[in-house]
Amino acid sequence: MGVFTSFNGLLLLGIAVTTAMFVYKYQEISSSAPIPDLKHDQYWGPGKAAEYKENAAIKKFDISAKPELIEALKKKLSEPLVLPEPLEGVGFQYGFNSKYLSEVIKYWRDSYLPKWNERETFLKQFPHYETQIQGLRIHYIHVKPKATEGKKVVPLLLIHGWPGSVREFYRIIPLLTNPNPKSDYVFEVIAPSLPGYGWSQAASKVNFGPAQMSIVLRNLMLRVGHEKFLIQGGDWGSILGSSISALTPQNVLGYHSNLCNTNHVVALVLKFARSWFPSFFITEENRAFFKTMGKDLLFIMEESGYMHIQATKPDTIGTALQQNPVGLAAYILEKFSTWTNVEYRQLADGGLTKRFTMDELLDNIMIYYTTNSITTSQRLYSEGFNKAQLSLKMDYVHVKPPTGCARFYHDLLHATDTELGTRFKNIIHSTYHSNGGHFAAMELPQILYDDFIQFVDKVFAKSATHNT
Amino acid sequence: MKGVIIIGLMAISSIWLYQRVNDLIKPLPKPELDTNTYWGPGNPTDYEAPKDVVPFKIAYDQTIIDDLRTQLNRTWRYAPPLEGIKFEYGFNSDALRHIVDYWRDYYLLKWRAHEEFLNSLPHYKTEIQGLNIHFIHAKPKPEAYKEKKVVPLLLLHGWPGSVREFYEFINLLVEVSDINDYVFEVIAPSLVGYGFSDAAAKPGFDVAQMAIVMRNLMLRLGYEKFLIQGGDWGSIIGSAISTLFPENVIGYHSNMCLLYTPLSMIKSYIASFMPERFLPQRFFAEHHFPLKDKFKLLLVESGYFHLQATKPDTIGIALQASPIALAAYILEKFQQTTGPGLNQEFNAMDKVYKLDALLDNIMIYYLTNSATSAGRFYAENMSRKFLGLQLDRVQTPVSMGCARFKFDLPPALDWALRDKFPNLIHSTYYNQAGHFAALEVPVMLYINFQEFAKKAIQIEEAKV
Repeated sequence: MGVFTSFNGLLLLGIAVTTAMFVYKYQEISSSAPIPDLKHDQYWGPGKAAEYKENAAIKKFDISAKPELIEALKKKLSEPLVLPEPLEGVGFQYGFNSKYLSEVIKYWRDSYLPKWNERETFLKQFPHYETQIQGLRIHYIHVKPKATEGKKVVPLLLIHGWPGSVREFYRIIPLLTNPNPKSDYVFEVIAPSLPGYGWSQAASKVNFGPAQMSIVLRNLMLRVGHEKFLIQGGDWGSILGSSISALTPQNVLGYHSNLCNTNHVVALVLKFARSWFPSFFITEENRAFFKTMGKDLLFIMEESGYMHIQATKPDTIGTALQQNPVGLAAYILEKFSTWTNVEYRQLADGGLTKRFTMDELLDNIMIYYTTNSITTSQRLYSEGFNKAQLSLKMDYVHVKPPTGCARFYHDLLHATDTELGTRFKNIIHSTYHSNGGHFAAMELPQILYDDFIQFVDKVFAKSATHNT
Repeated sequence: MKGVIIIGLMAISSIWLYQRVNDLIKPLPKPELDTNTYWGPGNPTDYEAPKDVVPFKIAYDQTIIDDLRTQLNRTWRYAPPLEGIKFEYGFNSDALRHIVDYWRDYYLLKWRAHEEFLNSLPHYKTEIQGLNIHFIHAKPKPEAYKEKKVVPLLLLHGWPGSVREFYEFINLLVEVSDINDYVFEVIAPSLVGYGFSDAAAKPGFDVAQMAIVMRNLMLRLGYEKFLIQGGDWGSIIGSAISTLFPENVIGYHSNMCLLYTPLSMIKSYIASFMPERFLPQRFFAEHHFPLKDKFKLLLVESGYFHLQATKPDTIGIALQASPIALAAYILEKFQQTTGPGLNQEFNAMDKVYKLDALLDNIMIYYLTNSATSAGRFYAENMSRKFLGLQLDRVQTPVSMGCARFKFDLPPALDWALRDKFPNLIHSTYYNQAGHFAALEVPVMLYINFQEFAKKAIQIEEAKV
């Protein structure tokens, strides 16, 4: 233990010096970086940009999987499983427990796949469309509210992340698109599959990072006919939402995230400071949300192996998972366990069915499997953390549209309003929920919906006062 | 008065600072560890390992090979590489397809020949601490014992390698030569959790535990004193054996001389400003510096390390469920280590290592289903218990030799190595080759090892 206390001492010294340097450069750091000049018509499809003629039609899209694919999957899942024996006494501490995985595979093969037609019908309950944006076929769900008596209809761009899909939103979409006495607003929901995920085409060219992807998503909203819209998202959806809000604020009525975060350097300094003096920075009731910096770093190290390999070798890990429904299931479901509640690592079954049904978890896996999109989904990480993307300094481009942050206790990380304020200049709504984890829309749709409509009320109250 | 107080405060804080820094950099005492822990399944009372050493032949049923060919013959599911991209984003899926075709339609059709090649060295198994340990035991011809001094050598592989890395190297080591007076009896085990050896059934099997098992293996075979050679984990385990059991080690030779202690990192940082002062020749600087580039290289190449060190069972499941997954994941490392000039080319691995040798290696992982247990070793070595041992800070008097190949992971300076190995008797730099030196440049490694062995053995003989 002697190492760690002395190391902490050196760390403290180092951070103190660094802090001093930053305070000195504060003025330079605190003003907004310029909005990067990104082309709104950059071509990301295969072949030469000069030969591309965009087809602006919007067509219905059939998400049906080829029957041969399902048959091949059944066959593959019927093969004898080659699984390692878990170490004695271990749950999910070393990753997905193989004993439990064989139960999952059994259910997938014997219970889920026999009713695949039912599941597909379920997935088709919302209207699916496709349109071509910047060379990429973009798939999206588009639900217009049917009953709007006395409510104002507001367009809402709903953005998923990794390893999720539009399937995460199936319980919240009916809440958003049906009138509710708690709100004057009802929403027209556009929920795309991110390019490279699900039924949306992947970019063929390098450097299609989150900033570039957010332009495609914003262009999608314009294509559908909405110049001004709300955004909601978690995971990459949160990052993409903040990018759209930073790059094209004129289109964004309000941005709501369930994973608000910033990597602004001043925020990091503040993070360190509140790690040492929590009472100064965080109210008592919310203190449980914030770990010490040491615990935070340890948690990040323990849980970011996937991010490290996806940010550096997506083609390796992606190819490894593509022929491999068993591997794909383990890799993705591990996240639905740990990111819902880190304590689930102690459990032999990872607590997967405590908050989710196996059917909805497998629906999501089937989307990755039938569209063969795991590799292209993982490339977002390498494009997102490379030099080209980081040089855009998106973390330093201020976000001015009204912003709402909903924090769910078991999610991966939390930031205080002060830390977020280094980038998000218009936080009008900030909440702490003592329950729930990373996949809030899927786990606690009612709570997320209630939080969202509170935010929306504030958005329009604010603009109402601005107009008078 | 004010002056006295200020001087007093400065003296106190200097002493405090000195003590804190000293805590971080001073050498630590050797830990005493239980050398008889049981690692097999369950908790048998009165466990006693059977002491017999049983010959072992690698022999797999044709049905297994046929099934593998079927698995490799499925409709290919992959994402095309981004335009203009080769291996910059990981293993290129087009290249992988060619390799899978070759594997299925050429390599596996002559599997029996490969199996025969693997059996060309004698294999054995023996049970140590509840684990069946596989090893190659290669001896020189009987005549050699009259001509030269025969010295036992423990040869340790790493990840994602296996005993297959050593076939050419072993054949050199057991051959009488004119270079010097020594020839070697080589004991090359599969590490616990790798290849044909059992895996530990309980958590906690880290480098120190592996060192104990390997040393017990040598004692089982009747060797109280032996040399050690290794790279990758083999190097780290060899260092641990030299640290925990110096009385058994004649000399320890490594082709991946890493040392990560606070002191070695401080020294590395200092030396980065004037490398010529700390290196025997100034053109060895590229092995160590610039630090920023080396750090970046480690960051870009260590995703697998991070994943296996935290979620070995997840990635293990994926690798064991698909031979293609296994191939992509392992071959990425062989592709990368072909060197900066070649590592974006599709035929680089065949040029540098020969594709058949690499497929032999992958077959070992595939046939023994050891991908998960192999990856778990990373997680066990990141445990608080193991990191708390801080073995890199424990000095050992064992004679040490270091061969640094240009494109391997950045090695430690002699200036740093001597803090742990005061008897660093052999230190060399090569302007070529990389991580898998035994496979890539076996003759070069052999000559280097012989030079080291001679010095180490002579020192040992002088002690008597």
